[in-house]
Amino acid sequence: MEELRTGVYVCMCGTNIAKVVDVEAIAEFARTVPGVALAKTYKYMCSNPGQEMIVQDIREHKLNRIVVAACSPNMHERTFRSALRIAGLNQYLLEMANIREQCSWVHADTKGATEKAKALVYAAICRVKFHEELESVSVNMCPNVLIIGGGIAGMTAALELADAGNQVYLVEKNDHLGGNLARVDLTAPYLYSARDLLTERITRVMEHKKIKVFLNSTLRELKGFIGNFTASVSGVNGTGDKTAKPEVVEIGNVIVCTGYKEFDASRVVHYGYGKLPNVITSFELEKMIREGNIRTKEGKIPKYVAIIHCVGSRSQEFHSYCSRVCCMTALKYAHEIKSANPGCYISDIYIDMHAFGKGHEDFYRRSSEAKTLFLMYEKDDRPVIHKAEPKDNCEMLIEVNEKLSGEHIEIPADLVVLMVGMEAREDSHEIARLVNISQDNEGWFIESHPKLEPVATTTDGVFIAGTCVAPKDIPDTVAQARAAAARILARIAKEKIEVDALFSEVNENLCSGCRLCNTLCPFSAIEFDEIKKQSHIISALCKGCGVCVAACPSAAIKGRHFTDLQVLSQLEGLLAV
Amino acid sequence: METNRQKLKMAVYWAASCGGCCVSVLDVHEKLFDVVAAADLLFWPIALDTKYRDVEEMPDNHLDLTLFNGAIRNSENEHLAKLLRKKSKILVAYGSCAHLGGIPGLANFTSKEEIFKRVYHESESTINPEKTLPSPVCEVKEGTITIPEFYDDVRSLSQVTDVDYFIPGCPPQTERLVEVFTAIVTGAELPPKGSVVGAGTRTQCDECIREKTENKQIKKFYRPWEIADDGITCFLEQGVICMGPATRSGCGYRCIKGNAPCRGCYGPPAGVPDPGAKMMSAVAGIIDEKEPGEISKVVADIADPAGLFYRFSLPVSLIRKKVS
Repeated sequence: MEELRTGVYVCMCGTNIAKVVDVEAIAEFARTVPGVALAKTYKYMCSNPGQEMIVQDIREHKLNRIVVAACSPNMHERTFRSALRIAGLNQYLLEMANIREQCSWVHADTKGATEKAKALVYAAICRVKFHEELESVSVNMCPNVLIIGGGIAGMTAALELADAGNQVYLVEKNDHLGGNLARVDLTAPYLYSARDLLTERITRVMEHKKIKVFLNSTLRELKGFIGNFTASVSGVNGTGDKTAKPEVVEIGNVIVCTGYKEFDASRVVHYGYGKLPNVITSFELEKMIREGNIRTKEGKIPKYVAIIHCVGSRSQEFHSYCSRVCCMTALKYAHEIKSANPGCYISDIYIDMHAFGKGHEDFYRRSSEAKTLFLMYEKDDRPVIHKAEPKDNCEMLIEVNEKLSGEHIEIPADLVVLMVGMEAREDSHEIARLVNISQDNEGWFIESHPKLEPVATTTDGVFIAGTCVAPKDIPDTVAQARAAAARILARIAKEKIEVDALFSEVNENLCSGCRLCNTLCPFSAIEFDEIKKQSHIISALCKGCGVCVAACPSAAIKGRHFTDLQVLSQLEGLLAV
Repeated sequence: METNRQKLKMAVYWAASCGGCCVSVLDVHEKLFDVVAAADLLFWPIALDTKYRDVEEMPDNHLDLTLFNGAIRNSENEHLAKLLRKKSKILVAYGSCAHLGGIPGLANFTSKEEIFKRVYHESESTINPEKTLPSPVCEVKEGTITIPEFYDDVRSLSQVTDVDYFIPGCPPQTERLVEVFTAIVTGAELPPKGSVVGAGTRTQCDECIREKTENKQIKKFYRPWEIADDGITCFLEQGVICMGPATRSGCGYRCIKGNAPCRGCYGPPAGVPDPGAKMMSAVAGIIDEKEPGEISKVVADIADPAGLFYRFSLPVSLIRKKVS
């Protein structure tokens, strides 16, 4: 091994670190450790001058290992790795000691915190000694894309990708495209026709040379990894058309846009849905509107219509989240009912009016002016629906403890519309399993970062868009679909994809094929070679989490950058000071 | 075997051991004639009436080969380990106890004090009203009596002296011993110092022909007698903990062939610093429960986990001994 020349850089982070930890004492201590060529402190190590200092030192002092004692590696490991690269040193010859989050931020006692920081720095110095130069690998990127779900999201993404010249396979479970939007009449707040939004798209998708649509079909299996998946698609049992036998396609990326299903209103027993004939759901009303025939079960034109918000949403009993689109849809119904039947009285019974989107507040104002009666109820004090007496001249009576006036109000209704929220589809678990993505407690697919990576997932090459991620309206759904398409287009343009060097690998000389690791991988990166009787890790799928490394009873699996030697020497260092 | 070649000078010694290793040497059966034709056994307490003094009087490096079995439990074991090291060109840690600390090493879960208390004060067969305890030096009217000092913990051979090779097993398979012995006698090129010899580089699973699938999802662990083993399926898949995945091959998976799970006597393959911890984390990975309470219930079915996972390797493991 070449002579060890470690550079130790202790950051003050302004006063974030320096006010609790004696950074000079740390540097002085580091200088006494064998193999440490120099140790320096600086106000902000992550600043340009800080990084330049490191780059210059690496060149001038021939440093071959770098320890940066600063913040969490989550924060700035990339920054300092890049400094090493610029200086011509392999970027993995760096180790960070977290003396901010794990030290100065959680301690007040300078003496103790400084001792702890010394131990953390010493541990890093011990570890970095055993760091290895690692190179990332690159894999081919197949430009074909699989899209699951032929709603507005799936079609938008498909057109975006296909228009750029890429082959798209669009898999739709039903016998037609359009998804949930195909069940809608007008859209809020501008009252555009959903049919107009969809028809043009459906036609283009069906006729597009680069889009192959599989109707009545589902994904059966997805194998492989980013850039190199194979998907098998086959007809839904019994209804399979020409695509009934499984078809295998080669793809590089997947977008899941499987949408939502509406909340089952009969679960809120309270409202009598299914028992009272004129209590209907928003989608049933939508159907009447589309047919131009808003009537009660008895065939009468309703004189009083009551719309109740948050059915299944914003309730600890059902779904705690807000379904986001129901408030504006309710206002839209008020408009549509009024324009069909100007003599109708509409009551809108709500918890809060969520009018957060572009044009929504204005839409709310216009609805208020159209003499809709707004009644506010307390979350846990739901309105009560009774069947009316013949003398009441209406079908039902609704009792509401009106929150703003504080009064107990009774209103007539011939038709009650329940604004049912969105929920994850019952088959979402199956989809999640097939494409290897995660779901939250409510069943929504989980994005890899809720703010910065809204359409990516923890499985590289698998994206999510639209209402399968969480309730959202059409503009947000379309934006996500286009975002996912854009992410994929950027990857296709590069033709190759770099895979991080921090993956785990199986030493074939040591693996005895016990198969203990096979089902543990959360990224399905481990495959078993039946001929060699050995397990193998697909590096492009591996995220280096280390589960298999820990589980491998024969130490045949090595976690690159997290070898036993590295981790144990770090521990020894930590305990030595 | 050639007889005109200079005969090998050899010793076999037992420290803290059960005697099984020495018996395994005798298990060469008629090959023993080949052994004695090729080697002079100068020191072998189980079979020959030689004294420690005979060894002490040998010049350094007088012995070509010493097979040292047993762990280091007391000062006598340590003295002989160091003495035989000095007198031997090749010192082999022979068997699990010398290699890893072995069964006697399980005493590291307790202390000298606790062992003495149990053995000399509490045990049902002991009457000791004076509460006498063994003492290394004892004055009686005839003079001074000394006995070896009982240490607080057990160590493997390499933890007290420099070891050339390790032959694992409880006891080592005699066939492996013959192979190693033959290699030394015939002057074959020996592996690098510190190697484990007479064993494979992979694990039991490499040789084991039981059917292994990825279906290792366990909701309940069983002791071997609690299930009707089908004789075909991997023990782990039947919920029986088999140390095979964390244990070096070389014995010919004899326990498993006899329908008993591997107990781990061949020790870990290279690169495993702590086979007990390794096997525990492997087993943790196959528990098919998500809730902590449910997981605890499954784990509770594992009888004597410390003794199970560290049966042979406690003194060389990371935890090594109980810290009082």
